[in-house]
Amino acid sequence: MNPADLSQLYRNTVMDHSRNPRNFRRIDSPQRFATGHNPLCGDKVTVSLNLTADGVITDAAFEGQGCAISVASASILTELIKNQRASEVVSLIRNVCATFVGDTQETPPGDMAALAGVRDYPSRIRCATLPWRTLQAALLSEAATATTE
Amino acid sequence: MRPQPSAGFPEVRIIGTAERKSAVISFTVDGIHPHDLGTVLDQQGVAIRTGHHCAMPVMDFFGLAGTARASMAFYNTERDVDQLIAGIEVAIRMLRS
Repeated sequence: MNPADLSQLYRNTVMDHSRNPRNFRRIDSPQRFATGHNPLCGDKVTVSLNLTADGVITDAAFEGQGCAISVASASILTELIKNQRASEVVSLIRNVCATFVGDTQETPPGDMAALAGVRDYPSRIRCATLPWRTLQAALLSEAATATTE
Repeated sequence: MRPQPSAGFPEVRIIGTAERKSAVISFTVDGIHPHDLGTVLDQQGVAIRTGHHCAMPVMDFFGLAGTARASMAFYNTERDVDQLIAGIEVAIRMLRS
């Protein structure tokens, strides 16, 4: 593979979210939050959320440090889940993760489609899924920490 | 304690400056995560290791999430090093904002 093929991995949408991440901030006193960690590479992401009483996500933000893929994934995540019902977002998480770790060739939803090229780089798939696993931990309150291992 | 830029390659910072340093060189490139650098180099036939190398306390000491690490051995040639440098230049052009 030559460097030109890397443009399928580092598409413009991915680089735009990575260079200018949306909702890259801390929510003061968030109702839900979790920190995700990839111990193999040192990436860390914290996802924080506010929800209405009937479970609609009114605010979503993230902080942390990571590669272009994980930052873009987290940035896209915050845009996709805002104003969505938590119950629907749980399904969305399942769908997103299935498009990266399953056998399906289905395109990831929304702007996550820009990260479809990650599937050709097995060592980078966890970079794309870490923010989503962390969101899952925040929503389901499984634990305050998610990990890829 | 922030590692200083390398002479002639201002984006690159060599981590560790021991006097009798071996040919195992950890480095960072400003504005590029080591994982992204590793992927770009990999696609150009240059294999390096990236991440915290199971050395999290020293990464904390340097205030880094991880580094890139090129390990030269007796079978590597100057051409390999030139290829590494050319690969880093490609990564800078492709990934730096």
